Amino acid sequence: MTHLPLWFIPLFPLIGTILLGTIAVVSSGAKKGPSEGLVGTLAVLFPALSFAVVAILACSMPEAGFRETLCNWIDIPLFRADIGFLFDGLSRIMLLFVTGIGSLIAMYSIGYMHGDRGFARFFAYINLFLFSMVVLVLADSLLLTFLGWEGVGLCSYLLIGFWNQDLKNCKAANKAFIVNRVGDIGFLLGMLTLVTIGGSSLLNYDGLAAFINMVIGAGEVVELVLPLSLAGLLFFIGCTGKSAQIPLLTWLPDAMAGPTPVSALIHAATMVTSGVYLLARLSMMFCLLEHVLLIIVFVGMFTALWAAIAGLLQNDIKKVLAYSTISQLGYMFMAAGVCAFDASIFHVFTHAFFKAALFLGAGAVIHSLAGEQDMRRMGGLINKTPVTACVMIFAFLAIVGFPGFAGFWSKDLILERIFVSGPILGPIVYVVGLATAVITAVYMGRLIIMTFFGKYRGDKETEEHIHEAPAVMLFPMVILAFGAIFSGYLWADSIGLTFFRDSMASVVGHAQALYLAANPAAHVNPVIFAALGTLAALGGMYIAWKVFSRARIIGVKGASTVPEGSAASWTFLWDYIHCAFIAGVNILAWFCDVVVEKVLQAIQWTIAAIVEILGDGASILQVRKVRLQLSFSVAGVALLVMLVIFSGGLV
Amino acid sequence: MLLNLLVIAPFVAAILMVLNSKEDSSASSRMAILMGVAFAAMSVALIVTGNQATTPVEWFHIPGTRGPVYYYLYAHGLGAWMVFLSCGLSLVALISARSITGKSYRNFAIGIFALMGAMNGTFLAADAVLFFFFFEAMVIPAAILIAAFGGEKRTTAAMTFAIYTLVGSAPMMVALWYLLTIADNSLLLSMAVAIQSLPADTQTLVMLSFLLAFLVKTPIFPFHGWQAITYAEAPAPLSAILTGAMSKAGVFGFIAWVLPIFPLNLNYISGLMWLGLGTAIYGALMALRATDGKRLLAYSSMSHLGFAVAGVFSLSEAMLPAVLVLLVAHGISAGVQYFLMGVAERMTGTRNINEMGGLSSKNPVFSFLFGAAGVMALAVPGTAGFVGEFTVLLSLWDLGPLPALVGGFCLILSATYVLRFVQKVIFGKPAREYQEGTRTTALEGVAFGSMLALLLAFGLHPAFVTNSLHLFDEEITEESTMEVVEEVAEPAEQPMTAEELRELDSTLAASGFTEEERKALIAQIQSETLAVDSAVAASEAAEDSVEAQGAAEEQAAAVGTDSSAAGAEPPAVETEKTEASENE
Repeated sequence: MTHLPLWFIPLFPLIGTILLGTIAVVSSGAKKGPSEGLVGTLAVLFPALSFAVVAILACSMPEAGFRETLCNWIDIPLFRADIGFLFDGLSRIMLLFVTGIGSLIAMYSIGYMHGDRGFARFFAYINLFLFSMVVLVLADSLLLTFLGWEGVGLCSYLLIGFWNQDLKNCKAANKAFIVNRVGDIGFLLGMLTLVTIGGSSLLNYDGLAAFINMVIGAGEVVELVLPLSLAGLLFFIGCTGKSAQIPLLTWLPDAMAGPTPVSALIHAATMVTSGVYLLARLSMMFCLLEHVLLIIVFVGMFTALWAAIAGLLQNDIKKVLAYSTISQLGYMFMAAGVCAFDASIFHVFTHAFFKAALFLGAGAVIHSLAGEQDMRRMGGLINKTPVTACVMIFAFLAIVGFPGFAGFWSKDLILERIFVSGPILGPIVYVVGLATAVITAVYMGRLIIMTFFGKYRGDKETEEHIHEAPAVMLFPMVILAFGAIFSGYLWADSIGLTFFRDSMASVVGHAQALYLAANPAAHVNPVIFAALGTLAALGGMYIAWKVFSRARIIGVKGASTVPEGSAASWTFLWDYIHCAFIAGVNILAWFCDVVVEKVLQAIQWTIAAIVEILGDGASILQVRKVRLQLSFSVAGVALLVMLVIFSGGLV
Repeated sequence: MLLNLLVIAPFVAAILMVLNSKEDSSASSRMAILMGVAFAAMSVALIVTGNQATTPVEWFHIPGTRGPVYYYLYAHGLGAWMVFLSCGLSLVALISARSITGKSYRNFAIGIFALMGAMNGTFLAADAVLFFFFFEAMVIPAAILIAAFGGEKRTTAAMTFAIYTLVGSAPMMVALWYLLTIADNSLLLSMAVAIQSLPADTQTLVMLSFLLAFLVKTPIFPFHGWQAITYAEAPAPLSAILTGAMSKAGVFGFIAWVLPIFPLNLNYISGLMWLGLGTAIYGALMALRATDGKRLLAYSSMSHLGFAVAGVFSLSEAMLPAVLVLLVAHGISAGVQYFLMGVAERMTGTRNINEMGGLSSKNPVFSFLFGAAGVMALAVPGTAGFVGEFTVLLSLWDLGPLPALVGGFCLILSATYVLRFVQKVIFGKPAREYQEGTRTTALEGVAFGSMLALLLAFGLHPAFVTNSLHLFDEEITEESTMEVVEEVAEPAEQPMTAEELRELDSTLAASGFTEEERKALIAQIQSETLAVDSAVAASEAAEDSVEAQGAAEEQAAAVGTDSSAAGAEPPAVETEKTEASENE
């Protein structure tokens, strides 16, 4: 073996988890927490080592990628699964930014979490998250991916509820886990469907691709489309849970209860994109399932539009970013729905940079305002925190798709691919996507204006303490801002850079070629799309400037940051729908507890009571009444004698 | 030897405990824990050394029956793991009970050892009467322990528990006696043969009597009336044993006794499967509403065991390893949850989860263990629970998407109630002021931690558990098949079973074969899934044939596999054919 073993990549965060977890548990009893320097160093060191391994492997990777089977996992009749890793064009890109951004955010957290009592515990969770995420991405089979899939869900739960003294955070954490669990069951049942179709070897990605190729070769696609569609749909339910798409999206805005670095890492850059990753990983299967793809396009489209509008109505700076994440994920699913998996992964990649930068910037703002998250009590911060403001403005330009910035390249690519995907459907979805781009520019412009421009609207006391974040926080932000500007040049079609597409081609190229063969794309001049995209971004920014720079925003005193009036019912629409289901379960539980259980107890009591009454009755005979006893005895003897006589004498 | 030790020595240990001073609980606890370690080590040795059997010894004759009752123990993968649960959980219970029983620790230990012996006997007995004896004997020490060490309503709980379970198995006693009046002896195979000669109605009646006992013991809806109050009022270490090991006797009974003996038809199988799933859902819903922490865990246990029973009656090829892993995982995880709940109860002085909270800041080590145990109970991949539930779901999916969907819904519910439970107990702020009781001791922490580590180990490498099921296969490949055929041919020549076999043959030719054609599919599935059980049965047949002259282990292995092979392929020898059809 000439290359580094693949299991090194998850090994380092795992060691980090164990070390930091031990430190956290051991020091938990002590008055003073462990040394922050030591914990911080360990916390950044292990993700960074993992990143280094990925980088070395990435450089030496052959076209086909590395494969490695560690050992057997489950081996029973009907089912067999191995623990194995697969490092190819897709997992390379994902791992690079997962471990890279993971290390940066761990570093940022050292500053952000400074002085927190759960310092070591926090980094143990972060390392555990990175371990799970690496396993999710690096796994060579669906079952092992599922280990990472639930693992990241678990870490998300632990980190959302990190400040567990406050029950509100715990509730948000529970919600995130349970909503994700619903999706996970979809994933689980999807795996079972695949096992039923062709045995447990189908859970292996290579095995699945081989199987699909065999099916296509034998011309039996038609017979298998139905079961495969079922599997695809179930997997997509899993994706909607993890990637916060309609209808399982309600947990993500609530998840903002966690510390801001967590929101940046888990709920923006990495974990929530694993649904998109899964679709790309299963591209060979999905490219055959036209109906499922149609569902994916529409779910992505509605999610993107709905979340963008909901983002307009938020007052909490992190909630705006949360809805923006949902909206951007909608774009990625739209792309996946037209089998443009490379474009969707490219958007995952660029989005990771600019959204992480935005979240870290928001975190720095919150940090400097001593925990204030309501944008109505911000404003004018550009003078006081210039670096943060610059980082966020660059990231803002990236997300709205300003020409030259990362989001411009990836978003335009997606919109272009959508337009050419079909004669009727394509333009419709394209128009909605473009409208969403305008709204994106509006709400992001609103965020920047309300936070950094105008006058400060908070109270005087906080104003005096506003300060720029420490260097340990600024450094990762600046690097991410560079990413937000330049990461788009890995695939800038109009200027002839296609590095990203070429590196993905070995994984998803075949599937996309199959899809294109079935649905030939019309050729359109890409310059038009770039122009329209630019127009949308500029138009949106102009609207935002017109509306929000003049608008008089009242610095409210109340603690609630939820949108007022009808806006609330709009943003909580899906929560209400979920509530109906929850109410159903609760009613069922009530029925079991109060009706069924009581009836059963009543039956139990009745039987016991009957026995007792009979016993009481019998005990009446056990009294001192000599004559009664005697007469019973005589009657008994008489009965016995009669029996003997009538039954034929003594035998 | 190992088997005898595991069954008889606990009773000896219980008697030895009497030697201890009643006053000095530290001396008695040391002795008890040392003996507990020895038993746990023996149970591990039992798993490692694989299938084995003792020499059958004639024990006594029941009036009216045809054959003698044997003292005859037999260990196969399933039973050995259940013994491991019983010994392991008893050890941890002995450790954990030191802080709650005070001076009467000695008496508690006596009860635990007696209970352990009875449970081991249940899981290892190869003779139906012996099995029934231990199955009933389990109840007595458990009920006494509840009455002596339980919570406020302990006498009610003990009475409910004892009466409910004893009444539940009373029909089984009658049915067993009835079977013995027509069977040659009380071993599995002769009973399976005997039941064939009965009319269909009587068969059903006998089967229902057996089923009732196990349905009550597991417990399965609607026979769960005793469970919640018993588990809630029993001292937490005992609850852990009850749910972790004793309740397994129900599921064990389905696998080891009901399935091999009774010719179940499709209606009963799917009925029981749905009953299991219904219990899973019902238990989860009840757990959602429970406010008493121990009741919540009781309902959660009920839910998991219902799921396991559903898995058993899916009768897929993967059923046995799937259910075994699920049972082991549930035994350990429910056990550790009960132990931890006991610690929480003694720290806060209440079982009401609404009055707890805030333990994560007060006692972080405990909370870490508690949270980790909760996560493991959620069946997160990488833990044993996941392997068990995933494979059981796989078995259910074999029957169709609907059972699997219901199973999936159950998993969602389990996440809901476990998270609620964890949140209420360790997160938030303390709901009230209280005098803090004894915290987690170091030994307890190590014990709980190692239970959690076991769950992780079995989750990442379930072969530890599942391999014990195909120890047969590996031995078989080494042996020559010719010998085996001769061994099998012998039983038919023996006068004792020949009549029965001929009788069976004729009845099958008259009615059974047409029925078999109709239900060919079911029969095939059944014969395959029962491979291991039929191996047990076949080994007993071999035992009988050679008049129980030692050398049990090799024959058991050899004959067992051959009969399972015969189930799959058309056998050449006529006697084999009859045997295969018996197993079906």
